[in-house]
Amino acid sequence: MTGGTQLTFHCPTCGESMAVNAPMREALLNHGCVVCGTPVPQSAFSAPEPNGDTEC
Amino acid sequence: MTVEQQTVMTGAETDALLGRHETGVLSLARGDEPYAVPISYGYDAGTRQFCMRLVSTPGSQKRRFLTDAPLVRFVVYEETEAAYCSVIADGRLERLPKSELTADHVKRYGTAKRPLFEMWGEPKAELTIDLYELDPEELSGRRIEVD
Repeated sequence: MTGGTQLTFHCPTCGESMAVNAPMREALLNHGCVVCGTPVPQSAFSAPEPNGDTEC
Repeated sequence: MTVEQQTVMTGAETDALLGRHETGVLSLARGDEPYAVPISYGYDAGTRQFCMRLVSTPGSQKRRFLTDAPLVRFVVYEETEAAYCSVIADGRLERLPKSELTADHVKRYGTAKRPLFEMWGEPKAELTIDLYELDPEELSGRRIEVD
């Protein structure tokens, strides 16, 4: 993934979690969760945990 | 049914049929054991590639047949009063690692109808959803005009 990791995405519907950059965030908001297909709310994005551990 | 004429669909006609449908039948095999399942899909007419979300549960029959890159046949068909049309795609189904997802992938999968989670008794969190892409080695469409 290019564009730099800036946020953690956590789908409230399917539970999928992954690190995302700005283009990915925009795409997920516009097209829904890539894994389960349900709409994604703004609240699905958060700053990465301090230890930086994220599951892709 | 009286068969009037059978014709090969053009690329544009094939793309149009795939674009106006959302589901098809995916066929896999292990040895001489067949497995076919209806699934939803997205189709990019520009690249002539399919994207699919395949849902399975631990120990499910589908998971037994889904390796990382199985050879598959995918069929989409429609029937109207005037014609019966079908499209067949043959190729290798490639699993897309979630760690390799890009914004373009998200956009493509956005065109695919979401899986019908309601079919499963398990909560969504207990289902495994894998992303696959199919770049067909062969893609053909046929139309049979009927009387």
